[in-house]
Amino acid sequence: MTDVTVASKRRGSTWLILPGVVWMALFMVVPILMICYVSFWTQTTFNISPTPTLASWKQFFSSDTYTGALWTTVRIWLIVLAMTFIIGYPTALFVGLFVKSKTLSTVLLVICVIPFWTSFLIRVLAWRPMLGKEGAINIILQKLHIISQPIEVLLFTELSVVIGMTQIYCVFMVGPIAFMLGRIDRNIIEAARDLGAGFGRIFWKIIFPLSLPGVVVGAIFVSVMVLGEFATSGALSGRKVNLLGNIIVTQVGSLKWAMASVTGVILTVVMGMVIAAFLRIVDLKQEL
Amino acid sequence: MATQAEIFRIDGVSKSYGGVKALDGVTLEAGVNEYLSLLGPSGSGKTTLLRVIAGFEAPDSGRVFFQGRDVTHLPAHERGIGFVFQNFALFPHLTVRQNVAFGMANGVEKVAEAEIAERTQSVIDMVGLTGMEDRGVEQISGGQRQRVALARTLVMHPKLVLLDEPLGALDANLRGRMRNELRAIRERMGVTFLHVTGSETEALAMGDRVVVLDRGQIIQSGTPDDVYSTPASPAVAHFLNRFNLFEGSLSGGNFTGPFGAVAAPTARRASEDVYAIRYDRVRVVPAASKVTGPALTARYVASEYLGSSVMNFFETADGKVVEVEHHLSLGAPETYEARQNYLLTWEPDQAIVFGREGK
Repeated sequence: MTDVTVASKRRGSTWLILPGVVWMALFMVVPILMICYVSFWTQTTFNISPTPTLASWKQFFSSDTYTGALWTTVRIWLIVLAMTFIIGYPTALFVGLFVKSKTLSTVLLVICVIPFWTSFLIRVLAWRPMLGKEGAINIILQKLHIISQPIEVLLFTELSVVIGMTQIYCVFMVGPIAFMLGRIDRNIIEAARDLGAGFGRIFWKIIFPLSLPGVVVGAIFVSVMVLGEFATSGALSGRKVNLLGNIIVTQVGSLKWAMASVTGVILTVVMGMVIAAFLRIVDLKQEL
Repeated sequence: MATQAEIFRIDGVSKSYGGVKALDGVTLEAGVNEYLSLLGPSGSGKTTLLRVIAGFEAPDSGRVFFQGRDVTHLPAHERGIGFVFQNFALFPHLTVRQNVAFGMANGVEKVAEAEIAERTQSVIDMVGLTGMEDRGVEQISGGQRQRVALARTLVMHPKLVLLDEPLGALDANLRGRMRNELRAIRERMGVTFLHVTGSETEALAMGDRVVVLDRGQIIQSGTPDDVYSTPASPAVAHFLNRFNLFEGSLSGGNFTGPFGAVAAPTARRASEDVYAIRYDRVRVVPAASKVTGPALTARYVASEYLGSSVMNFFETADGKVVEVEHHLSLGAPETYEARQNYLLTWEPDQAIVFGREGK
């Protein structure tokens, strides 16, 4: 093939990414730039004007409510991330590695996804009759005479938010890890056994490193969703737990566009740093 | 070989998968410092046999002994038997050096860092991978991966190494070179190799002793020469891929086949009457010739040039293909007219006859 035809082919195939580029520019790049811009606008009680000011930024970092929301978001994110990993990894290990039959492992993954057949809000709200003071867990524990007084910390606390989020997002951790584990050549594990390694060694030296890209992808999924959360915290904390997402919802609701934009920019930066940090752990380009 | 100390022995080992017998009462032993090749068609149970010896599968019945010890229920990682996988099964996230050192660094017995480094380097040098220590195993060629797989196993100083079609994944050129190297490495290390293969040439070329496996049973065991020149059954003759096999009937010391009735005084006992003549023992004469002994009319179809010999294909009236090999060291090959009839004949005492009447 001559250089000319290669070049014209390359030019021809460039068109394929055009719809994607247009879409991302219109609905991601432009809005993000807009948010950055609006965060410097001047906000008065009933009005907003494009006069540049740092007022909203100063207000964010000087108010305990806003910085508190930032730390709560980071704390809940870390706890939920750890929980989804602790619950998700063994599950993925079972589904992806120990289940020998491919059919059974697919069936098990589908079962993990079944909760998603109902809507997000229903899944969140279903925790209320479960965790409440007169909810299922308390009733059962009382009937079994394990407790005499209902446990009140179960609902409308940070705990209930963590429980709700862990349940919803766990499957996003299980999926990618199970996928990576399923791709491990069984002969490799047998080779390690043959060389005298026990299960613990094989897990830490072979299985875990090879599943790491799955862990990173799962962690990115969970992180992006948890950091942007507002519905679970709203529904299960009784407004006591305020995440950055909740701040944005409240600010937009009261037409405080500048403050909402500041919070949005901060949230976007946090997410960007988290994703960048995860991508440094493994070279996904090479591993997937 | 029987006088040498035995390194492993399996005794009446059977193994079934869902009602299908993969191994059916296999008994086999190997001596110290022996090269044993195990030949069998796919599905004959040869890989299962290796996996039972290695400890990846537990036999349904029978026992496995290694260095005089019953290891039937010992887990694989405590057996100290080397295993080289057909697809090499290298650890993809580790370098050549880390792959080779894996067993020493993570094995049951602790090995000192300095010793790990030294043994790793010496075995890497031995298999000819010097300079590649820090490459990833995805960045090296198939032949080099084969060497890493071998080095990774040999560095553990196993007394027995099981090789599951180790040359199957290599191209023909490399396969020939690796054959020589495998043999040389084995002799240098003084370990017993049990080499499983589906290729009769590989089995005959590599083994001090060849064991033929069919449908989960050992049907012959002997030196390559024994197996090649005196196959124990029609099935062995068939796997060797060196014999024209004819069906017929043996009675009163005569074998009657498509080539007429021929005296067969030394027929061997088998469950069916089969007449076997080696490809290179068949002579081709013009159709009108008068011959004494076996005579088979067949049509010339095609020939294949093999370098040191020419393989000629003939077809009998009932559609059976007869192969005739002509070694070029015996002179230039005859040229035959396509689709013309010729007479195929041979010395009857060079044939191997199997039959229910045999001894």
